[in-house]
Amino acid sequence: MSDAPRSEGGLVARDLTVRYGGVVANEGVTIEVRPGQVVGLIGPNGAGKTTFVDAVTGFTACEGSIHLDGRRIDDLAPHRRKAAGLTRTWQSGELFGNLTVRENLLVSARSISFGSLFADVFKPHKATEAGVEKALEVVGLRGVADVLARDLTLGQQKLVGVARALAGRCSLVLLDEPAAGLDSNESLEFGERVREIAADGPGVLLIDHDMSLVMSVSDVVYVLEFGKIIFSGTPEDARTDPAVVAAYLGVPMEAADA
Amino acid sequence: MPEHTHRAATSGAPLLEVEGLTAGYGGVQAVRDLSFTVGPGEVVALLGPNGAGKTTSLLATVGLLPLMSGTVRALGQPVDTRKPHLLARRGVMMVPDDRGIFYGLSVADHFRLARRRADASRRALVLERFPALERLMSRKVGLLSGGEQQMLTIAKALLAEPKVLMIDEMSLGLAPKIVQEMLPSIRDLAKQEGIGLVLVEQHIELALSVADRGLILNHGRVVLDGPASELLQRRDQVEAAYFGADDLGDVDEEVLPTASTS
Amino acid sequence: MTTYLEFAVLGLGLASVYVGLSTGLLLVYRSTGIINFAQGAMGMWGVYVFTTLHDDGVLVLPIGSLTLGDEMAMAPAILIGLVNAVVLGVLAHYLVFRPVRHAPDLAQVVVSIGLMVLLQALAVIRFGPNNIPVESIFPREELTVLGADVAVRELSMCLVMLVLAALVWAYLRFTYAGAATRAASENERGAVLMGFAPDRLALVAMVMGAVVSTVGVMFGASLTGLSPANYTLMVVPALAALLVARLESVGIAVLASVLLGVFQSELSLIATKPWWPVWAKSGLDQVVPFVVIMVILFVLGGRMPSRGSLQSVRLPDVAVPRFRLVPTLVLLGVTAAALVVANDTYRFGLTSSLIITLLALSYVVITGYLGQISLAQSAFAGAAGFTLAKLTAQWDMPFPLAIVLSAAVAALLGMAVALPAFRIRGVQLAIVTIAAALAIERFVFGNYSLTPPTGNPIAAPQLFGIDFAIREGRDLARLEFSFMVLAVVTLVILAFVRIARGDTGRAFLAVRANERAAASAGIDVRRTKLIGFGLSAFIAGVAGCLLGYSHGQLSAESFSVVVGLQVLAMAYLGGITSFGGAIVAGMLGPLGLVYTALHQWFDMGDYYALITGIGLIVTAILNPSGIAGQTRMQIAWVREHLGHGEEPPTSGPPDTGEPAPSSGRTGQEVAGRV
Repeated sequence: MSDAPRSEGGLVARDLTVRYGGVVANEGVTIEVRPGQVVGLIGPNGAGKTTFVDAVTGFTACEGSIHLDGRRIDDLAPHRRKAAGLTRTWQSGELFGNLTVRENLLVSARSISFGSLFADVFKPHKATEAGVEKALEVVGLRGVADVLARDLTLGQQKLVGVARALAGRCSLVLLDEPAAGLDSNESLEFGERVREIAADGPGVLLIDHDMSLVMSVSDVVYVLEFGKIIFSGTPEDARTDPAVVAAYLGVPMEAADA
Repeated sequence: MPEHTHRAATSGAPLLEVEGLTAGYGGVQAVRDLSFTVGPGEVVALLGPNGAGKTTSLLATVGLLPLMSGTVRALGQPVDTRKPHLLARRGVMMVPDDRGIFYGLSVADHFRLARRRADASRRALVLERFPALERLMSRKVGLLSGGEQQMLTIAKALLAEPKVLMIDEMSLGLAPKIVQEMLPSIRDLAKQEGIGLVLVEQHIELALSVADRGLILNHGRVVLDGPASELLQRRDQVEAAYFGADDLGDVDEEVLPTASTS
Repeated sequence: MTTYLEFAVLGLGLASVYVGLSTGLLLVYRSTGIINFAQGAMGMWGVYVFTTLHDDGVLVLPIGSLTLGDEMAMAPAILIGLVNAVVLGVLAHYLVFRPVRHAPDLAQVVVSIGLMVLLQALAVIRFGPNNIPVESIFPREELTVLGADVAVRELSMCLVMLVLAALVWAYLRFTYAGAATRAASENERGAVLMGFAPDRLALVAMVMGAVVSTVGVMFGASLTGLSPANYTLMVVPALAALLVARLESVGIAVLASVLLGVFQSELSLIATKPWWPVWAKSGLDQVVPFVVIMVILFVLGGRMPSRGSLQSVRLPDVAVPRFRLVPTLVLLGVTAAALVVANDTYRFGLTSSLIITLLALSYVVITGYLGQISLAQSAFAGAAGFTLAKLTAQWDMPFPLAIVLSAAVAALLGMAVALPAFRIRGVQLAIVTIAAALAIERFVFGNYSLTPPTGNPIAAPQLFGIDFAIREGRDLARLEFSFMVLAVVTLVILAFVRIARGDTGRAFLAVRANERAAASAGIDVRRTKLIGFGLSAFIAGVAGCLLGYSHGQLSAESFSVVVGLQVLAMAYLGGITSFGGAIVAGMLGPLGLVYTALHQWFDMGDYYALITGIGLIVTAILNPSGIAGQTRMQIAWVREHLGHGEEPPTSGPPDTGEPAPSSGRTGQEVAGRV
């Protein structure tokens, strides 16, 4: 699947640069994710991973271009990018705590207008739909579909976030630290799900610091440090790349200790 | 590791005693049963990946986050969570991960605020360690670079002549070169003045190379605890603890896990 | 030309008040992050004390008074007045503002409005409702400059205020405590970690602010006289000046205050010209600040500094309502029975309660569900009420249709007010909406060319040949009218329940929970807010129409901002997140059942507002989610205050740990794009 034809499909973020005041958080970052592909984005804390996700999904102003399925989307508001098929999860979950799991997904699956007011009063929509049920199935949350999101464990909340991103139209999903707070087993299980999601069609950009997860599920890995891509290639190569190892564990300090 | 550190560490009563600390947010524990002590001139590194509970530990230690259980004694007295500012006045300083600086204020403002009564010799001493700050005095902090901001953060804490100094993620967003210069400098000052130093870091090598003792946290628990020199030698174990193996039994199997391509 | 110069100087009198209030507001905001809507009311109290001492030699305290001779000389009377302001500042800090330092925006807005209502009510009780003259410390002389007779009094006042403001500026700029205050206002956690007690700094700022504002009000009152209402709401134009200064700069706040005062003075001169349209004469003093606020927020909106603080409680939880037939029927039956057996007085009270339930429900929609603070609900109700008067009296529009159309007009107005909500939220939105409400009240409702002072008679509602008029002969509260109200209120609540359960309600709750997450889930946040404001204003509009029918004719007083604030108070007390809370609010609300009962048993009169204010403050402090239904929050609160309670029951995986960074900078980025 990683050898999909070089078409216009998927996400192409080219030369993204993000500045916060005097600090450059992303500098010329270029990342491609093709449909059905799992791409890992890793890097130490503060490297600019979340900034990149924010820039791609429209929550931070940036320079550069972003194309989704051949369509330029960098001038769209976040909800329009979502409508175009670009979805994301949030590091801290950011669920709608007063809604049930299914309702959380419904928010994502339906858009509202002034007409919704009348529809709600006179002819309410069904309280679910096919896309929602499928997304629940994919992440394995059917059993808790009617539980309030705030009452779930953190691991489940993370999965709700993923399901919410998949519930509507989704041709590419950005997962921002989805495994943070999961234990090793949950993390392994989660990796399986990520592969299933990608096998179903959408491209997946996986941002996480759980190296074992990213390395085991990604087709391609990008490594970000100080806002720049310092490596891109297969997980195997990443593991042996000295720059990558140094970025994660730091460089030994012979000089300083002398 | 320099030899003298252990000497310094053993002299005098501990400055900071954390015993069975458990804390978190909204009823969820982010860190469980953490214990450590810091003596005068001792450098303790609190290590672990993002989300391991390091920052939570620090916030709870200085009283900014209520303890769920456990005790914290600083300079021999329990920490009063209702008046966290008093702790700073007594000389237990924490540098938070947002650096605790004020973008709208100038560097000179920060210097003034850091010390109620101006002390020229202290100021000179601090500026000697961070000479770059001298020419930035009138500049607003929001306009400084990340490295300069971090220097100011540390300088500001040192100005107050702390007895305990806790620094959260000093290396965050800084080039390794800067960190490599700053860490030993801070460590030396701590040794000279008998400051108990707690470094919270992601970068293992940098922190352990200046620390006397290291604790590695993952998933809210201490998974490895020992003298820094030993931890440095058992690097494989450290990496395993770091990259998420909860059970240190299978440490040897894989350091960076191999792909399980399906 | 000389006339313009003379009026410019006259405007300095008003400018003095604005300088006093905006400087005080700024001090309080920078030290606590709270917008103190009670700043005007706090400034007023010391002036009352001063003037009663000076005139009658009586020192009036909140309870009791001391007679100190016949008349007191100017200087000691002023001094004692200012001492009162200091004491008030200290009390306000410890009893009102400190407890809500880390509470959500809504609780902070509510608490300061509670204080405003309380002080205003107390002023009515202790000093009477009428305008009293206040002596000026400056001579009433004139100076000839460039051929114009310039008032020395106004000039001197303004100079004194400029000096005071300069002192405040110097405090913030040059003193150690001032620098610490600036630091804490930007990053409170950072300040605590440096050993500052933000609390102490806030106390100092609160006291300074109270004194400066008191002096400003003293000057202003010597020109206009003093009444409990006039200086309480003077806070709104001062807020405009504060926003121009981006909540930061004393210098700009002062400049804006002076310009605003002068401009309003000039405008009052221009408005006397024959070419000035008659319809645009009244309420200009409130329209100008409103326009200033709107313009500023449109220009600066996204870049308004947000204040980093330690932590904040989230809004109270919402339980999505369900329709249950049996309880609904029981409730309806009990209400209907009560209406039948009650005498005129109580029937009118209960009917009013039903109407106020709707007004409170409009707050539930906008604040409880959408998470936006609106203080303009009474203006929406009023807009519908006045439209109804025109539709029924002039165009003979039949009853149910007239309500729908009038409420639709209110909905349009609500959506217009929602426009600034695209860029701002929280307390800034509260400022915009209260300014809008005041502008509408003064410019439209109080405008004789639009709404004649003789009143706006509303034709009695009729349907299928039944007359639903409230009065007929000696029957002052007809059962037919009450049943009609009950039917309308029931229908609206049922519709609300379906909307709250439906796609729209979900979208509201998503936006309330997190605008960014909602946008990432595909919600058009702006459109959702527009819908929310429209719906909320529509419901308020229906309430306004029913209120109109129940009064038979309307005046500006029916929909004053203060009435709206009282209903907000009650909605908050009842629980702002549920329609149950709205019903409680209806029962407690002005002219409602409880109000009527209290009036019958005791002669409550002015104490109702006082109790409202106190109740509001106490509720906001003790229980940020109100009386009704929020047991969850109450239990959590009790547990927290009993010292952390037992171990958390969940054995879930550990939290990701690190709290959100609290620097102001992050806040700005967050506010940036959505």
